[in-house]
Amino acid sequence: MKTIRIELALAALIVTLAVLSLMVGPAGLSPRAAINGLISGDGPAGVIARDIRLPRTVLAALIGATLGLSGAALQGLLRNPLAEPALFGAPQAAAAAAALVIAFGFAPVTSFAVPIAGILGAAISIAGLVAIAGRRASLTVTLLAGLALASFAGAVTALILNLAPNPFIALEIAFWLLGSLEDRSTDHLAIAAPFMLASWILLAANARAFRALTLGEDAAASLGADVARTRMLVVVGVALGVGAAVAVAGAVGFVGLVAPHLVRRAVGSDPARLLLPAALAGAALVLAADIAIRLGPSVVEIKLGVVTALIGVPVFLAIIFRERRLLEGAPS
Amino acid sequence: MSLLTAQGVSVRLGGTTIVQGANLSLRGGELVALVGPNGAGKTTLMRALAGLVPATGSIMLGGQPLDSMKPRDRARHIAYLPQGHIFHWPMAVASIVMLGRAPHADPFSSTSAQDHAAVERALMTTETLSFAERAVTTLSGGEKARVALARALATQAPVLLADEPTAALDPRHQLVVMELLRNAARAGNAVLAIMHDLTLAARFADRVLVMDRGRIVADAPPTKAFAPERLAAVFGIQAVSVEVGDKRVPIAGRAL
Repeated sequence: MKTIRIELALAALIVTLAVLSLMVGPAGLSPRAAINGLISGDGPAGVIARDIRLPRTVLAALIGATLGLSGAALQGLLRNPLAEPALFGAPQAAAAAAALVIAFGFAPVTSFAVPIAGILGAAISIAGLVAIAGRRASLTVTLLAGLALASFAGAVTALILNLAPNPFIALEIAFWLLGSLEDRSTDHLAIAAPFMLASWILLAANARAFRALTLGEDAAASLGADVARTRMLVVVGVALGVGAAVAVAGAVGFVGLVAPHLVRRAVGSDPARLLLPAALAGAALVLAADIAIRLGPSVVEIKLGVVTALIGVPVFLAIIFRERRLLEGAPS
Repeated sequence: MSLLTAQGVSVRLGGTTIVQGANLSLRGGELVALVGPNGAGKTTLMRALAGLVPATGSIMLGGQPLDSMKPRDRARHIAYLPQGHIFHWPMAVASIVMLGRAPHADPFSSTSAQDHAAVERALMTTETLSFAERAVTTLSGGEKARVALARALATQAPVLLADEPTAALDPRHQLVVMELLRNAARAGNAVLAIMHDLTLAARFADRVLVMDRGRIVADAPPTKAFAPERLAAVFGIQAVSVEVGDKRVPIAGRAL
């Protein structure tokens, strides 16, 4: 009952934020004008609501949900509240591949070559991880290989910045890496959504295994969970979803780490029940950040990844402060 | 009737033979203690019996080869309680115990009335019902041990494998946990418990398996299994034998 309540509350919050997101921007729309424009598609309000703000809004929600879900799934898999989507290197690889295209492919930041490169980069990093660590590798080996790949991808990105043909491109990449949903279209949505959807299915399918893993890997296996398979599915699921998210929106930091913490208490720390609320919380967080960006001064757009961190960190610190004892696992 | 039979079971890990040619049989109604010095291969043997580590030889579970069973099927027949009572998240005790029902769960529905009945019974048996709603990470060591046992009991599997269920418990809780295991055996289950406390093993076990360097070197009632010469050879101790109730139990006297 408690769980359904938090899910309903978050869903209501997301709907409210989505409507706000359709209203807010250089040309403000009233709620009524925004919804009428969305439904009819007529006139300037229709163009703004349908073609400009709807893809942005839907992308914000999908990306946030993917990051929140990925974070919750990884924390469940690793039994560790510090786990976050960047752990296995997929977002870094996606960023490196996208940066490569921006720097040397002469593609503008908003072209489709960028997300496609990003998704390919993430896919290559997963393939590399599986090849290096092996299909039935232990957690430690997988983590170490992921860490190495993440560092390598980070170094590649730095190298590209280093070698960028001119400073404008370097700046362009640097800004892109900070994350943004500006000028994203339904085509971006069409490129990224299938990967995110696939990732949701892979991650949600392992919910029961995450719950069993609270007893450790041996006990989970003795309860019928296939721990090695779960590990592989989660690595692939996170890479697909987060790779796609990074590919269209750049790096949106902190959501994957924070979203599960926002709702963990409400679901009694159950790692399986956590998945849906964490996804909803992630969606709300990114939507709110993207709205905050558009409410700010319009001279320079503050980047999405910056705002998610600026909003996320204080909330996160507040939770840590409140739950110090639970997080430490010490008897109170 | 034998619920679990192992014949010629060997386990090699990283090029080293950890368990060699183990033969054993666990019958319903029996509490069997598995003892041996550190590194003798007790945990590895138990993990092999639970199907958690690849082994050669034959392990039959209720007349079926263990390695031919689906993981969930196997999980309905064997409850395994690992060392250390691990709980990673501060979940409610009742939710933890409900995990024992996972092998019975239908993937498309939530918990059944039968699941709830099994959980309640496990909570009552282990006297953990009074803190069923508390976060498991806030419990004391003795309480955690009982919750871990409740989780294993909730599966209602005919075979219960417990790895050092009394480790790190105070004397009273050691007795409480051993009583619970004995009651589980009396209810018709086959219970195998790894133990380091020979005195407790002698008092509670119907039969003792002694392991030494990967081999089972004795399979006998406690008084026979704990013969002074064997304790000297396997554990390197000179034991003193004392009477507790109607049982003769060994106490480690001095190291040899």
